[in-house]
Amino acid sequence: MAKDTEALYAERFSRYTTALRNGRPDKVPIRPFVAEFTAKYAGYTCQDVTQDFQKAFDAACKCAADFDWDAVVGNMVYVWTGLTQAMGTTYYGVPGIDISPDTGFQYCEPPEEEAFMPPEDYDALIADPTGYLLNVWLPRISSDIVAPGDPNTERSNLALLKGGMAMMQYFSGFGVQAQRLREECGTVSAIAGILKAPLDILADKLRGYLGLCTDLLERPKKVLEACEALQPHLAHVALTSADPAKQVPITMWMHRSCVPFISFEHFDNIYWPTTKPIIETLWGEGYQVMLYAEGKWGAHLDRFAELPDASIIYHCDRDDIFEVHARIGHKFAISGGVPNDLLAFGTPEQVRERCKAIIDGVAKDGGYIMDASAIMQNDAKIENVQAMTDFTREYGVY
Amino acid sequence: MSDQQQPKKRPGVCIPWEEKRKELPEIAGDAELVKRVWEETDALAYTYVWHCLVSF
Repeated sequence: MAKDTEALYAERFSRYTTALRNGRPDKVPIRPFVAEFTAKYAGYTCQDVTQDFQKAFDAACKCAADFDWDAVVGNMVYVWTGLTQAMGTTYYGVPGIDISPDTGFQYCEPPEEEAFMPPEDYDALIADPTGYLLNVWLPRISSDIVAPGDPNTERSNLALLKGGMAMMQYFSGFGVQAQRLREECGTVSAIAGILKAPLDILADKLRGYLGLCTDLLERPKKVLEACEALQPHLAHVALTSADPAKQVPITMWMHRSCVPFISFEHFDNIYWPTTKPIIETLWGEGYQVMLYAEGKWGAHLDRFAELPDASIIYHCDRDDIFEVHARIGHKFAISGGVPNDLLAFGTPEQVRERCKAIIDGVAKDGGYIMDASAIMQNDAKIENVQAMTDFTREYGVY
Repeated sequence: MSDQQQPKKRPGVCIPWEEKRKELPEIAGDAELVKRVWEETDALAYTYVWHCLVSF
């Protein structure tokens, strides 16, 4: 690594990790979660970066080299559809196949009556979550994988073989990508490790949101027991995918388990009692968790405030970032808050105004990381992302 | 016992070493080595299954 690139990396690393721990660095760190935006900037289609992860890595590096960003994700177009196609996954709309090559991949949730897990399967899931996923769920979400007891097929064997090999190849690529970002761009890999809350994953991939809503009314005890059964496994997945150096956070991608998608009662009695212990366990092991609060989770700030100081970073999507800062900013760092619609449809001047308001109102004492509200897809204008970057670099100096 | 009624398995495990051990003859060499390698490769399958759910 060239000495100046290494020095740049060290400077950015210090800036980013200081802010993560709610400290005050030399400047406001910039850590944009750029997904399909990278394709747009690098001259690729969404299909290119979704189906060919090397192109996605290349596009992320090109952005990291050209923009003065402190940290990025190695590939925020996270779902590599080469892998999902290899294993016959049926729930994705793949750019260039099912949808336009210039549209980001889509998750297609089945209708309630066709949920991957019917309500009568709760006991099987609770008894043995891993066995259920392997023997029941995978065959249901794949066009090729067959369940134990069903006649085996060549396609089933190949789907498991190719899926496993592809996952190994893809995950190994992230290590190489992190090194490349560091050596070529002086840029920090922003996150490592994945977490989803038990109730969220139950809704997303097993019962579906509508099915889960029915269950919360008709069989809430089973929902709680399922979340309790999933909890240690989701904690294990987070721990085993985290940064061994414990320097960058595990990210919890938060979906629909907040008011008004569910009630306060269900949040307080099911979601939080099965999610809080995971975060506390990870913190006990020395890991921060970034709560990537997609949508609005502000109704639950008092619950999040129960967590130990600096154990989380709260990422603001559609919450009022100034209210979030007032209520939990003394305990946790905050990121985000630049609306995606502003980046897509606004002007550079409007973007600068928003960044100024956030820096003045939220970042004054440190503990803030500049980012869009949600991951940036190919609708974000390049000049607006440039304005967010340049303004923050110039104005966000302590 | 049907496949769906198997007892709980701890995180990181698909086929527990205790279950696999019963299939093997007496281990003349380093039994801990055999156990460790079994568990490490078994954990790869666990990683695959759970990341299919969580990541993909």
